[in-house]
Amino acid sequence: MSIAEKYTDEIQAIFAKYPVKRSAVMPLLYLAQRAEGYITKGAMAEIADLLELDVTEVAAIVGFYSMYHDEAAGKYRMQVCTDLSCALRGADAFLENLCQNLGVKVGETTPDGLVTVEAVMCLAGCDKAPMFQLQQGDQVSYHENMTVDKTMELVEALRKSSKQVDE
Amino acid sequence: MAKLINLTINGTPVTVPAGTLVVDAAKKIGIDIPVFCYHPKMEPVGMCRQCLVEIGRPMVDRATGQPVLNEDGSPKLQFMPKLETACTNPVSEGMAVFTETAKAKSGQKEILELLLTSHPLDCPVCDKGGECPLQNLTMEHAADESRFIFDEKHRAEKHVPLGDLIFLDRERCIQCARCIRFQDIIAGEPVLGFYQRGRNTDIVTYGEPGFDSIFSGNTSDICPVGALTTADFRFGARPWELKQAASVCSQCPVGCNVTFNVRREAKAGGGYVIKRVMPRQNEQVNEIWMCDKGRFAGYQYTEAESRLMATPAGLDAAVGQAVAKLVESQSETVFLASGRLANEDLFTLKQLAAALHAKTYLYTQHGGGEFTTAYGLTSGADLGALGKGDTVLVAASDLYNEAPLWHLRLKAAAQRGATLIVAAARATKLDEFASFVVRYAYGDEVATIQALPAKDKIGEAIKNANNLMIFYGSDGLGLAGTTALAQSCAELFSISPVSQLTGSPVSQSASFPVEQLTGKPEDRTTEQPEDRTTEQPENRTTRKSNTGLIGVWSTPNQQGALEMGFRPAENLAAELAGKTVYVIAADPAGDDPALAEALKAAKTVIAQDILTTKTVKLADVVLPAAAFTEREGTYTNGERRVQRFYPAVPTRPGTKADFALLAEVAKGCGIALEGRSPLLVMNRLSTAEPAFSGVSYETLSQPAEQWPLIGRSDLYYGGTSYENKLGLGVTLALQPKADRQSSTVSGLRPKENEFLAVPVTKLYDLGATVAPAKLLSAHIERSAVAALHPVTVEKLGLGAGDQLSVEINGAQFTFRAALDASISTGVVLIPRSMGLAISAPALVKLHAAEKA
Ligand code: SF4
Ligand code: SF4
Ligand code: FES
Ligand code: FES
Repeated sequence: MSIAEKYTDEIQAIFAKYPVKRSAVMPLLYLAQRAEGYITKGAMAEIADLLELDVTEVAAIVGFYSMYHDEAAGKYRMQVCTDLSCALRGADAFLENLCQNLGVKVGETTPDGLVTVEAVMCLAGCDKAPMFQLQQGDQVSYHENMTVDKTMELVEALRKSSKQVDE
Repeated sequence: MAKLINLTINGTPVTVPAGTLVVDAAKKIGIDIPVFCYHPKMEPVGMCRQCLVEIGRPMVDRATGQPVLNEDGSPKLQFMPKLETACTNPVSEGMAVFTETAKAKSGQKEILELLLTSHPLDCPVCDKGGECPLQNLTMEHAADESRFIFDEKHRAEKHVPLGDLIFLDRERCIQCARCIRFQDIIAGEPVLGFYQRGRNTDIVTYGEPGFDSIFSGNTSDICPVGALTTADFRFGARPWELKQAASVCSQCPVGCNVTFNVRREAKAGGGYVIKRVMPRQNEQVNEIWMCDKGRFAGYQYTEAESRLMATPAGLDAAVGQAVAKLVESQSETVFLASGRLANEDLFTLKQLAAALHAKTYLYTQHGGGEFTTAYGLTSGADLGALGKGDTVLVAASDLYNEAPLWHLRLKAAAQRGATLIVAAARATKLDEFASFVVRYAYGDEVATIQALPAKDKIGEAIKNANNLMIFYGSDGLGLAGTTALAQSCAELFSISPVSQLTGSPVSQSASFPVEQLTGKPEDRTTEQPEDRTTEQPENRTTRKSNTGLIGVWSTPNQQGALEMGFRPAENLAAELAGKTVYVIAADPAGDDPALAEALKAAKTVIAQDILTTKTVKLADVVLPAAAFTEREGTYTNGERRVQRFYPAVPTRPGTKADFALLAEVAKGCGIALEGRSPLLVMNRLSTAEPAFSGVSYETLSQPAEQWPLIGRSDLYYGGTSYENKLGLGVTLALQPKADRQSSTVSGLRPKENEFLAVPVTKLYDLGATVAPAKLLSAHIERSAVAALHPVTVEKLGLGAGDQLSVEINGAQFTFRAALDASISTGVVLIPRSMGLAISAPALVKLHAAEKA
């Protein structure tokens, strides 16, 4: 179902807020992401049509922000910054070790579907690397000055809490 | 005029208009500040930081408002704590810029060092190597060793097809966004974007088909590294092996200045081969751009397998046969020539025909030449100067498809403030930039144009225009329709010659004032009011050069043919029966079965062409001609600018330039014509044809300094477009108006089960000069669509993309159905040169095609 059909009222409410149509692109992308957990190419094209933009302009916004996703993922997204400042504080080694411990490659999801590990560009926590942001739906938390051990503990805790919720 | 600002750069004083950027001010006095993201055709963005310099500004005492002085009385300068970007800072009074100080140099050096940390440095296999700004600026400004010892270089995909014409090398991209900004700002097709951030930044395109723009090749010219390469040239040759031949694009009436790059190749037996087409700067014509049709189909047809050739003896024999036929037929000969011929060819033809007392016709379905020669643009015209106060009308023309660079330049004019009125029967790409869009039903073109002055705002824009420029095309029109349209457009100028055409003297109470053509009120003070009623074009000395009527022709030199008096026949087929028909650079038999029949009914057919066309196949005598890439000559573009092209490759054996062939034929007939060189032909032409007076190969090849400075030593600044060293061309003088009765076009009314089929032009079609471009085959294939209103498609039981059968005069043809909600339900748009002969609106039957 298209987002225009699914969220007719919300879209109207969003449009009402912006005198210039194209300004509505970010909230519409959130809607699309809410619908599927990530933003499909189809949704990008639909938003482009709604806002009279080129689909590439919409895609470029999805690409720029680490809080928009263009692919499905596990329950949590663990986005490790590997940009220059973090790299100088050992982010690359941290990421590699972490992946080994989790048994995944960058971009992959743990077999239980819990965590997807991603490498992203600067998250403005440069002085507290290694660091990552953890995303679940609309929730985001920063985890700074991390070690692999601390991170594995966190993952365990997440695993437990999501089991409890599931049961 | 903008206020002038005085400043110094490295101690040298320079005075430039307010608003000039420091980087451009420096360029003007020959100081090169390295840039990557800045491009003189686009607003600065300050993204790459390569242009770091020190900028001092005079200190002002806040209390007194007086300048603070040093002990020696010189103004005290204030510097920012950090270096500043020369590309984002406009000049200011008393500014002192330093581009060569140790501080500035180290800033520039460090940026290069950083850029190179994530660059693959694969120059030896990079197509840009040899003409690469990054390479050149590194040699000039960078440290010889890097302090960043990264074991693992930045790795990314290397051969990413963004579409079928442009390839991206992600590793090489330095993220300057020139390509993205070009597409957005200049082309108006924002189909490129950045994805991700930081070192992960990638160029992407999400459209379908990929890199969906007809200007895509230009991004490769302005990319400062080898990240964007064209499908035709990548891995084809090294820039330093290439020689240049100045030329003019032959694909449309814009006449973009181009450079053919050639080199000798073993596979051509050591002969010269064209390797690529690049734009050549002419700020009044194409600036530094060209479209993809010109770039990817510009010369390919001259190398098509269907090229006609002969042995020299065979050619002589053919000339002999042609002579024999002409001597016999004399005035019973009809010459048929198209605007694909150069001015020199047409002039020679005209003389030959005159000597034989034979008829000549221009082969075209686009009429109205009697108006464009009398109301066309004059010397000094420049679409780049259109702006506030000027009005541009585009009537029945889809410029994006018919003359891409005009589309581009009118878009820019509208954005500078010109009033752009687009009158068309369907939505076109230019609508987006228009101030007014006037939609009419096919068939109502003339009435629509005539009604414009009475419209409130549009009428005002036309009446009060500082300059009034009118483009008229052939969207949905045939010969009669375009001629009538030209007349109605010319009438908008509302001057006496027009009213004489229709037989009624102009009066002061005419619907709008005659002065409008003569420019601003202050220009008119010397005029006698009573003169205005009898003004002739040649008397309009104060006429603005950006005022005039332009035909959007389908050939590069139709305007030149028109200036020499060539005119189309109203009923061509009827003119050919029983005659000796000499066809040059035209394929009537291929275009229209009715004309093929007419040629079969002719006594003799002589065909002179570069390609094996249907007409050539049914001809009795065939004369193989040299292509424009193999000879010299001139074209007159739609703006009436005569421009020279030069030979890029040698003439093929057994072929000769058209003028030389004609002169030889003439000689056989006992008529002495100049056939030695086009230069000599032009000398005669300019004496014989008043419009061409003063035009010579010398005046045509006069270069002039243009801004921005581009080309070899400046390629880091403007890109790899070539500098114009061989002339900007000369604009013709206006011709006196022709006597002409107003023509009427009878409207076609579809009966039940019938539709009105109208011809429309697609940029990429199966025309003889486009089809041989192999790289464009997918693009051409996409043109094989007949567009209908969505309601009609549904009624026919079809969906978009389904096969639609079109029945015209008993003949059937199949297209894919496309949707166009902007047209009326009774209309079907048939692409020209895509298989179905349609030269004018016609009634057709439509139905779903049988499934194969
Ligand atoms: S592809 Fe070329 S023009 Fe485009 S951003 Fe990269 S370096 Fe700049
Ligand atoms: S706009 Fe016309 S003249 Fe210019 S490159 Fe394209 S086809 Fe050639
Ligand atoms: S570089 Fe990692 S947060 Fe800024
Ligand atoms: S920042 Fe000035 S050229 Fe890029």
